[in-house]
Formats: sequence, C-alpha cells, structure tokens
Amino acid sequence: MADKADVWQGTLALMVLKTLETLGPLHGYGIARRIEQTSAHHLSLNYGTLYPALLKLEQEGYVTSEWGVSDNNRKAKFYRLTRAGRKQLEKEAREWERTTAILARFLTPGEEAP
Amino acid sequence: MRALRAWLLRLGASLSGRARRSDVADELNSHLAFHIEDNIRAGMSPAEARRVALLKLGGFSQTAEAIREQRALPFFDTLRQDLVYAVRVLRRNRAFTTTAVVTFALGVGANSAIFSIVNAILLRPLPLAEPSQLVMIFATEARRSLQFDGVSYPAFIDWQEQNRSFESMAAFANRDLPLGTSDEVVVARGKVVSANLFDVVGVQPAIGRAFREWRPQSADVVILSDGFWKRHFAGSPSAIGQTVRIDERPHTIVGVMPPRFTLDGDSEEFFQPLGLDTNRNRGFLRTVGRLRPGVTLEQARDDMSAITRRLERLYPDSHAGVGANLVPMADAVARRVRMGLLTIMSVVGVVLLIACANVASLLLARGATRQQELALRAALGAGRLRLVRQLLTESAVIAAAGGALGLLVAHWTASALAAAVADQFRVPGIQSVRTDGMVLLFTIGVSVAAGLGFGVAPAFACLSKDPNDRLREASRSATARRAPRARRGLVIAETALALALLVGGGTLIKTFLKLRSTPPGFNSASLIKADLSLPLPSFWQLDTRVGFYQAALQRVRSLPGVRAAAFVSILPLNNRNNTESFHIVGKADPSPTRGFNAVFNMASAGYFRMMGIPIRAGREVEERDAAGAPDVAVINEAAARAFWPGESPLGRQIVLPINDEASQILTVVGVVGDVRLASLGILPRPEIVVSPMQSRLRGSSTTIVAQTEGDPKALAAPLRAAVHSANPLVPISLIATVDDVVSNSIVEPRLYATLLGAFALLALVLACVGLYGLIAYSVSQRRHEFGVRVALGAAQSTIVRLVVGEGLHLAAAGVGIGLVVAAAATRLLVGLVVGVEPQDPVTFAAVTFVLVAATLLATYIPARRAARVDPIAALRDE
Repeated sequence: MADKADVWQGTLALMVLKTLETLGPLHGYGIARRIEQTSAHHLSLNYGTLYPALLKLEQEGYVTSEWGVSDNNRKAKFYRLTRAGRKQLEKEAREWERTTAILARFLTPGEEAP
Repeated sequence: MRALRAWLLRLGASLSGRARRSDVADELNSHLAFHIEDNIRAGMSPAEARRVALLKLGGFSQTAEAIREQRALPFFDTLRQDLVYAVRVLRRNRAFTTTAVVTFALGVGANSAIFSIVNAILLRPLPLAEPSQLVMIFATEARRSLQFDGVSYPAFIDWQEQNRSFESMAAFANRDLPLGTSDEVVVARGKVVSANLFDVVGVQPAIGRAFREWRPQSADVVILSDGFWKRHFAGSPSAIGQTVRIDERPHTIVGVMPPRFTLDGDSEEFFQPLGLDTNRNRGFLRTVGRLRPGVTLEQARDDMSAITRRLERLYPDSHAGVGANLVPMADAVARRVRMGLLTIMSVVGVVLLIACANVASLLLARGATRQQELALRAALGAGRLRLVRQLLTESAVIAAAGGALGLLVAHWTASALAAAVADQFRVPGIQSVRTDGMVLLFTIGVSVAAGLGFGVAPAFACLSKDPNDRLREASRSATARRAPRARRGLVIAETALALALLVGGGTLIKTFLKLRSTPPGFNSASLIKADLSLPLPSFWQLDTRVGFYQAALQRVRSLPGVRAAAFVSILPLNNRNNTESFHIVGKADPSPTRGFNAVFNMASAGYFRMMGIPIRAGREVEERDAAGAPDVAVINEAAARAFWPGESPLGRQIVLPINDEASQILTVVGVVGDVRLASLGILPRPEIVVSPMQSRLRGSSTTIVAQTEGDPKALAAPLRAAVHSANPLVPISLIATVDDVVSNSIVEPRLYATLLGAFALLALVLACVGLYGLIAYSVSQRRHEFGVRVALGAAQSTIVRLVVGEGLHLAAAGVGIGLVVAAAATRLLVGLVVGVEPQDPVTFAAVTFVLVAATLLATYIPARRAARVDPIAALRDE
C-alpha cells in the first residue's frame, strides 16, 4: 500500500461538513472513522486535529453541538450541520470541483507540451 | 463575517475566562471510550487498546490544549492572566501604586485639561460652511509694523474685483451701537457686513432673508442674533418686519441668524448692511474670502500681493507700503490666544514628561526589589519576552488607572478654567469646552504612549541580566549599591525640566509683578467711570454735545459723595492705540504724504487734577476753554519731547484735519505727565488732548469719570441715574471702578503667570518626589554600609552629609542642564506677554535657590533615616 496521505489543511472542514450532511448528527469519533472509511484508509487522520476543527466550525456557526447518548448507550457530544453549514458545504464543494478540474487540465498531457 | 463572529466568540471566551471551564475532557474521554471499545472488539488487550487510541488521538493533554487554544485567543488569555496578576501585585504595593498612579494622573490630567481648551478653540471647526476654505485677508503696513490692519472700502472692492484666487470675498467691521427695542436701549455688539457675507461663510439666516445688494436709497434693515431675538421678541417669527432702533434710526428686521452663529467669536447681537464709503484712508474693514477649489494659500498670497503692488502704484498717497496678509480664518479668529495656548500645552507636556520619568524611576526601583521573584519565574521556565510582557501589563494597568483618574481631573478643571477666562478671551469655542470624544481619544493616546514610554525601558532593564546572577545577587541584599545609572539620569532630567519650567513661571510672575507695580501715571483710587455711547444723529452738532456734557457733569457733581467729575474719551489702559495725523504750524511735515502722528484724546476741565496726573508746564483744560473761546490743546511729555525737542511747546499751534475740507487750529496751553494710555506694558506715546467742549472730532464713545469720597462702587447706581436724567437716550455700556480697570488690564499676564507658575510648581513637586524616591531607595540599599560606618564611629552628621551630598550632586547636574534649557526657552515667552525680560539673572538665581532648597528637603528626610540606622540591626540582617 502506498504511503497514506496526510489530510490537507482546509479540506478537513469540508470532509466534516460532508460527513454530517450524509450521516446526520454524529459524534467526533464517528466522524473520524467515517472519514477514514470513505477515504478507504488512504488518509491518515490524527484524531486529535479533528476536535479543534469541529470547534472552529461551531464558532463559525456551521455546526452546533449537543450532548446526547449513542446507540450503544454511551454519552457523547453530537455535532449537527446548520443551515449556514449546508450552504457553506455547497459553496466549498463547488470551489473544490473547479480547482480539481483546473488542476486536472494542467496535469493531462497537452498538445503543446514538449 | 463568519471569521469575525468566530474571533469575537473566542475573545469573549478569553476575557471571561470561560475557556478554562469547558467540557473538553469529557468529550475526549468519550472519544477514547469509543475507540478503546472498537480496538478491544478488534482483538487487542485493554492496555494495548488504550495505548493505540491515545496514540491515534495525538496525546490527551496535547489535544485538550489545542482545543482550548481554538476555543479562546491565546493572546488575550495570557493578557487576562497578566492583568489579574498585575492587579494583585499592584494592590499588594499600595504606596508604590498610589504614588505612580497619582503622579501619572496629574501629568495626564493637566494635559487633557489644556487639550480640551485647545480642542474647543483651535481644533474644532468654526461653525461655518467648509471653514478650511475660508481665509481672512488683513492689510499690512510695514512702516507701522502692522500685520492685522483693516482695509478701506474702495480697496476691498479692488481686492474683490481683481483677485483670481477667491470664489467670493466679503468684508465686515465691528460696530457697537445703541440698540433700542420698545422696552430699552442697550449698547449692542454688532457688525456691518457686505451683502454677500452670509453666502461667503455659507450660513444663512434661520428665518427671514439675508441682505440684498446695498444701494444709496436702500431702506434701513437689520438681521438679529438668535439670542437677541429670543430675549426681546420671545423667539416669535412675527419679529420679521418689526423695527428696532439702531443709533435712534428705525431699522426693519429682515432675518434672524441660527443659534450660536458668530462670525469671529464676538457674540454679535445684530448685523447691518455695509454702506458705500469712498475714503481710501479709512481702513476699517476686515475681509474674508473663500478660496477657489484647488487654489493654495500660497497662490492666493502671490495673487493678493500682485494686487496690492498695483494699488501702491495707482494710489501712492493711501496705499504706500500697504500689503496683504492672508491667514486661514480659524487661525485668524484664535490668533490672540493661539500662542498662549500652545505655550501652556507645551508646558503641560513637559510636566507629563517629568511625571513619566518619575513613574519610570519608581518602576526601576521596584524592578530591583523584585529581582528575586523575576529570577525565580525565569528559572521556572518563563521566557524573557513573557516576563517583559508581564511587566508591561503592570505598567499598562498603572497607565490606565492614571489616565482614567487624569480624565476626571481634566473634566473637573477644564470647564472651570475656561469659564474663568471666557470673558478675557473672546474667541469662538471657549464657551463649548467639554470632555468630548476628541479629548477622550487624546487622553487614551497620551496614556498609552506615556505608559509605553515609562514601562518599556524598566521592563527590559529588569531582565537585562542572567537569571543565575540575579538569583545570586538578590540573596546578597546588603551589597552596597548605588541607584542604577538609568534612575540617576531620569532624576537629573526631571530636575532639569522642572528648573526650566520654574524659570519660565518665574519670568512670567516677575513680569506680572513688574506690570502691577508699574506706576500708570495716574491715581486710580476712589474713581468710578461710566462708558457712554452718544447716538451720533442727535449729537451731530457740537452744541448738542456740549449741552449734554454740561448737563451730565452738573448732575453727577451734585450727587452726594462725588468730589469731582469730568469727561474723557480715552481713559488710560483701554487697549486702544489709534493715532491721528496732524500738522504743526511753522514746521515741515515729516513726509510729503503724511503729517505728524499722535493719539488724540478729549478731556474736560479738571480731568488731570482729578486723575492725579501732574501738570508739568502751563495749565490743563479749564472751564474757560468753552465753545467760542480759542481752541486749546494740552500735550503729554512724550509729545513735547517728540515734536518740540529742546524748546517750549507752550503757545505753539497745531492743525488737526477734521475732514477733507475743514481743519481745526489748536494752541498748546500745557504739558501734563505721561500715562500708560494703552496698557501698563506699553510705553506712553505722544498724546494731544483737546477739550470736548471745543472739539469738532465726532466720536460716539465717551466716558464720564467721577471722584468719590467713599467707596466708588456705591456710586454705580446714582451715576447711572444721573446720566440718564441728563439724557435718557444715551445708553451706558459699562460702569466700573478705575481700580478694576487697572487690575483688568493685567488679567492676561496674570493668567499666564498663574498657569505657568502652577504647572512649574507641580513639576517641582514631581521632581522632588522623584529625587526623594531615589535617595530613599539608595539609603535602603546602603543600610549595611551605613551600619558599618556607624559601628566604626561615623557621626550622624557625616552620614547625613553623605546622603544629602548624593542628592545635591544629582540636583546640581539637573540645575546645570536646566539653566541652559531655560536660557533658550524663556525667549519664547517674549511674544506671549508684553514686557517679558528673558534671561533675567535675578529670576534664574531665585529659581535655582528654590530648587536647591526643595532638593535639600527631599534628601534630608531619607538622610535622617540613614543616620539613625542601628548598626547592630543593620549588620545582623546580613
């Protein structure tokens, strides 16, 4: 297996938002696992970096948090996407697609390429 | 927006300390529990499961710290800790904190108080439209060194038509006239203004209309001030169209200006349209112009000087040597107080410097006693910058507390000070001195700057040494050490500055005392005066005027308690200095275009005897010099010296032009002593006095003076009644004792002497506190040394001499520097008050003596303490 990629700065927030959109309210550990699973374990996520990122999203008003009880009856803090968070997700996803499209065009061998 | 919201949330968390109390640990524990559970399910042992989960998290406390940092702002978090700590430390050292805060508050308070006055007068824009584009244009006359002279009506029209720099130009002149409504007649402050004036300054009447272009047949109209309208017409709009009598002629009210409108701070009550005046020699107008957009003041100056040069060629008789002086309107209206205010502002700036030096010195001293604490904190891992930051936070707390206290001081003193001087300084804005946003901003700015100024150096100085050295040194507390060089330098600088201020204050006080003891040339005791304003239309003829003079004199003289009475047109010390041109029979004029110049005054019979002005030769004006008798003149000694040097002026004749056609021939019958006619600080000028019963010069303002047997104040009401009974149409503008006239004439020098003296005294006290603190510190540091000396047999007086010597040493250095600074600085006072003698050796000597005496006192107290050191106790401390 190739070296695991580190999570890029800035993309973590996008992944968190997308995860919450897909799965609904979820606790930190669940989000972390989901990100790892979705990336088919190609991403190496240091779980410790997730919590400041979640707090930042909360301060920006994109998610809210609330203590609750998990399926296996364990107390956990659940994060939920807000309306502003949903909008932000759409915006960032669009931007991300544009960026990757541009990069893809750069990296595909072109006619003028020597 | 989102980022700001997040930042504010974090700031709030920092300041409230909420970041500390949070559920971070709970959340992380919950996270670990999930992870461990999963790991165990995957087949790990519980210990292994825990280890892996922690590893994947990146450490429990590290993660918790990362979350806390995201939760709050680390900068403000530290700031809050530092603040809490600083307040605790400062509260523990009450004496230090009080001294530092009070010292700083005095410095800041003095600055903010003076700044609120400067702000109101010099900085706040005039209540006119775009006042920065308004420029006042004065005439200058090099020969008489006039910089702010008036311009004649024809010259104003020339300026207005020929200039290319101004959008528009208007002219105005002061005109204090009897203003009569249905209920009373008062002398009101007014202005005649060119019809376009309100357009030029961009303020229109609040109700009614402005003036139309003046024509010879124009009806008499007037625009009233808001205040006059409210007082006399109860603020009713129906006042428009009604009439008031100005100088007895009915004028129709066409408009009322908005509240608080004033052209140049004169609190005008009415405005009249400016009529035509063809005399090029009557320079009575002041001119204001609005610069065209994009035209600089310099360009306008060039433009105007081209015009004045052209006028000089065209009209050499009236315009020779006449130029134009362009001054921004805001500067022009505040010109009389500008220099005084800026002087006082710099003085309080110096006081603040001294206060800062004091606080810095205190901080240095405290830093020295805190070496152990700081060394310990450094040894426990606090970085250098972290410690500097802590110390700076303490300075900031002192600065903030001092600044806040200073603002209170300023708030209380500034408006009281302004109210006290408002009558003397008629400038716009003085009524509206208040603690506004600008003052607040200034105080904060000054406090921050000064706080940094006194805080930074001591903070770094405290940490300049290796912590190991400091720990070691701090434990060797009894090492004989003198105060550090930095503190000694600060105290020397303080002493020097205080000395310079004391010399400045001393110079002004001496000037004031000299003015006060200047013999005015007359005796002001038991005299009371009433200023009258003759409505000229009814007093146009000489015999009407004479009739009134005689009736009034007769009634006043018959009042019980009145010994004598006389009319005079210029009472001494009245700040006026107008001269008239005349010729001398048998002598050639000094120049082909101009005659001799002297102040012309009118005084009725017995005036000089009553005023105690000595008669040097011949006689004074007497009753026999009535209308019809030969016209006589009495001259002062200055005139005798100037016009008839080495010969007797008695019997000589002079020719006084009355108007273009007529002139009057006067025979000199006497010479009287010189009096200070303009002010105590101005030497007497040649003066020619004629009898009001004979004079054909028409002046509307005159003064009746009465000599009383008892208290002259008691005569105020009877005097008013007597003048009224002689003619009820003559308004009285002011009744005052001549003693008051004399003391009012030196109000301004007294104000400056008081202010500068008070601030210099404050500076002296602050400098002494600084010196005292330094010597007391030095004594405490050398306690061991003194113990040894006493044990070895040193007398108490030796110790006292030793300590006082150290203080005097510093003071001497300060005095040396201060004298040099003062020698340069007192020159600046020359333009401020008439009669200042800079670099006066007596003042310098006296001030140095005061300073050295104060220094001795400040060092003697700690010296006594040093001498009483118990050698056993001092050595046992070791």
